[in-house]
Amino acid sequence: MKKFAIVLAFAVLLAFPVFAAAQAEVAGPASFVPTKNIEWYVTSSPGGGSDIFTRNLMDIMVSDKLVNDQNIVIQYKTDGAGEVGRLLVSNIKAGSQADHTLLTFNSGDLMPMAKNTNNRFENFQPIAHLAVDKHLIFVGEGSAYKNFEEVIAALKAGKNITLAGSKGDDIACHAALIKELGVSEDQFAYIAHDASSGAITAILGNHYDLLICKPAAASQYVEAGKIKPILALSTSRFPGNLSSAPTLKELGYKNVEVPNWRSVVGPKSMSAEAVAYWSDVFKQVSTTDAWTKGYIEKQKLVPEFMDHNVFKAYGTQFQAEYLASIGKDK
Amino acid sequence: MENLTMLLGGFSVVLTMQNILVTLLGAVLGLIVGAMPGIGSLAGVALLLPLTYKFNPTTAIIMLGSLYYANMYGGAFSAILLNIPGDSPAVMTALDGYPMATKRNRPGQALFTSNMSSFIGGLIGMFILTFTGPALANLGLKFGPAEMTALLLVAMTSIGWLVGENPIKGVLLTLVGILIASMGMDTLTGSPRFDFGNMYLLGGIPFTPFVIGTVGFSQVLKLMGERNKKVEANLSQKLTIRGSMLTLHDIKRLLPPAIRSGFLGTFVGVLPGAGATTGSFMGYAMQKAFKSEEELGSGAIEGIAACEAANNAAAAGSFAPLLALGIPGSGTGAVLLGGLMMWGLNPGPLLFTNQPEFCWGLIASLFLANLLTLVIALGIIPFLIKILTVPIKILIPCITVICIVGSYSTSNSMYGVLVMFFSGLFGYILDKNGYSTAPMLLAFVLAPLLESNMRKSFISSHGSLDIFFRKPISAFLILVLFAIILTPVIKFVIRKVRSSTKSV
Repeated sequence: MKKFAIVLAFAVLLAFPVFAAAQAEVAGPASFVPTKNIEWYVTSSPGGGSDIFTRNLMDIMVSDKLVNDQNIVIQYKTDGAGEVGRLLVSNIKAGSQADHTLLTFNSGDLMPMAKNTNNRFENFQPIAHLAVDKHLIFVGEGSAYKNFEEVIAALKAGKNITLAGSKGDDIACHAALIKELGVSEDQFAYIAHDASSGAITAILGNHYDLLICKPAAASQYVEAGKIKPILALSTSRFPGNLSSAPTLKELGYKNVEVPNWRSVVGPKSMSAEAVAYWSDVFKQVSTTDAWTKGYIEKQKLVPEFMDHNVFKAYGTQFQAEYLASIGKDK
Repeated sequence: MENLTMLLGGFSVVLTMQNILVTLLGAVLGLIVGAMPGIGSLAGVALLLPLTYKFNPTTAIIMLGSLYYANMYGGAFSAILLNIPGDSPAVMTALDGYPMATKRNRPGQALFTSNMSSFIGGLIGMFILTFTGPALANLGLKFGPAEMTALLLVAMTSIGWLVGENPIKGVLLTLVGILIASMGMDTLTGSPRFDFGNMYLLGGIPFTPFVIGTVGFSQVLKLMGERNKKVEANLSQKLTIRGSMLTLHDIKRLLPPAIRSGFLGTFVGVLPGAGATTGSFMGYAMQKAFKSEEELGSGAIEGIAACEAANNAAAAGSFAPLLALGIPGSGTGAVLLGGLMMWGLNPGPLLFTNQPEFCWGLIASLFLANLLTLVIALGIIPFLIKILTVPIKILIPCITVICIVGSYSTSNSMYGVLVMFFSGLFGYILDKNGYSTAPMLLAFVLAPLLESNMRKSFISSHGSLDIFFRKPISAFLILVLFAIILTPVIKFVIRKVRSSTKSV
């Protein structure tokens, strides 16, 4: 009797995987669902823009039950200015782990990565592009300039101007702007800070002429009357309290914009089923009220959803253009 | 007076059962996090932040505020007892704290000194914050790149007091510190520098593992050499609170440096980019200019008091720009700021006007946290000093584990551990050959700040030196710098002239 029980137990055990495999086959290739903890890498420090973006996504995914009741664990990998975390994700081998790994990826990450390392956008699996941040130029209360026409006039008169801002996309924005205005970097100098908050501090203390930053960081200071927007680096004016700033086109130049897009990617080795699944999850998140009102509107971003296919083409082109602009396209 | 009423209003927010419990929880966690090397206030606040999203914002910030605050106390424990700074501001505490606990056999008093000065420094910082909050923040704004450069140059001269008997060794290590600090990304252009093609070095040498290595792990290596030495089982004092009490004379020695550092620390905390670590370095360096009964570095009460008071005051001071302008004065402040946004508040210049109960609740909670932490910290002294009776043989593996865990947890990778091992070895070799590592650490902390501010100044002035003389604050600081540098030279010249006239 004992023997029989053991044999029966074995039979049942053996039957399980077969049965499970059969089930998977029936459901077809698009049937990936998370079956274990999801590891979500963020390559910036907690509390910053990338972290807030990730946590908002995560909260909605968990509360709307879009991840099959699995846990999402955020991993902060900030070594090597984030390059170590990005390299780690791009190197994950195919398999279950690859399907359960996500990485928050912005153009502000892509630019230094492409510039300083050999890691490229192609080494990741694009999943979803969710939102775009654009830039404005501001003056502080004590600034010598009231609007951007005065700045242009001063530049033409040979005066020196200093512009304070953050890293990454802010620097690329400045480069595009001086190219369009036709002035040298010596004359229209850029002073990089670790974060926008540092640049804002310096402008509040009236240590530089101009400030470049994204709307979310500046909004409160505009409301308090501490800084004033004078130029929108976008193809159209911004809404709300930023609407007084004209675009470059209105001032007789071509528009300049270097969008900082916010997206999610995975390891290159992620299976096609998992890619389709995650892309769809983020599409669902992007239509929720919690996302559009609680995040996009509050942080003054432009909502712009792209699924994995569209995003792949977009990101690849963005990188090619960026590499060409810094002379690294060969 | 109005501010006092607001503060009392703040206390009415804080003194509910729930908020007191949360403050207590924050204080206990802060002490633990602070005492664990590697997990400083930054990591502690960052780890707890997600837990607080579901709280109401006032309760959440009270908990994180008191955690941040208590952390400044905790860091000193391991610095004094094990010579491993629990967090970066405690590096300076170890200089005098460890000798006082071991060589002078007064571990209880050393801890008592550090706790009392933390309390005094913090209290000074909080009172300044209460009465001058926004004005204090505006003073911080006056410090642009030129002013910061001048101030940092003045601070750098204090290295001269840290170099010890052999100035050449001191200068050499200062240069090494600057060199190590310059590895990684260039702060202004973002281009890699001294990274030797290594992905990890791109981010530079992380401060915490570097400090744990040079100060803590090198200590382990040193202890290994004397592992068979017997521990004197009977400490000269009783392991009780009473046995740890300071004498009246001790308190008289403690007060002046603690009060001086309280003011200095608050000021440093308000400055952009300078946090509690810079505060405690400067506090200690300033003490060198004043009289201490025992020589600094040999276990002097004044040394512990000066840096501990300064770092707590700086922590309180850093709340001024955070609350009044929405500008974080330190890394931890930046995380708190991120938290404010997640809780649905808009940090910025309108926070005091729009959310007064939140701001004043936070300030009131700092007072409460300061008091609660002091009580808890004093209460556990008798238990903590028992560590010193543990035989070295057992202590060595324990400290090693703490060093490894601490350096791993700064970036969750083995890179930190490697940095810790190598800098430990380096620190040990230096120590064996009579080099003091303090100038190197000071240079490592100040050099990046100095570099970025100096380069910002020169970019905006197009390379002209007159930027340092254009505004009164920087001009004054540069004059102070010249005075410090030239005084010995002038003294020397006068002496020469005098002796030559005498001989004639």
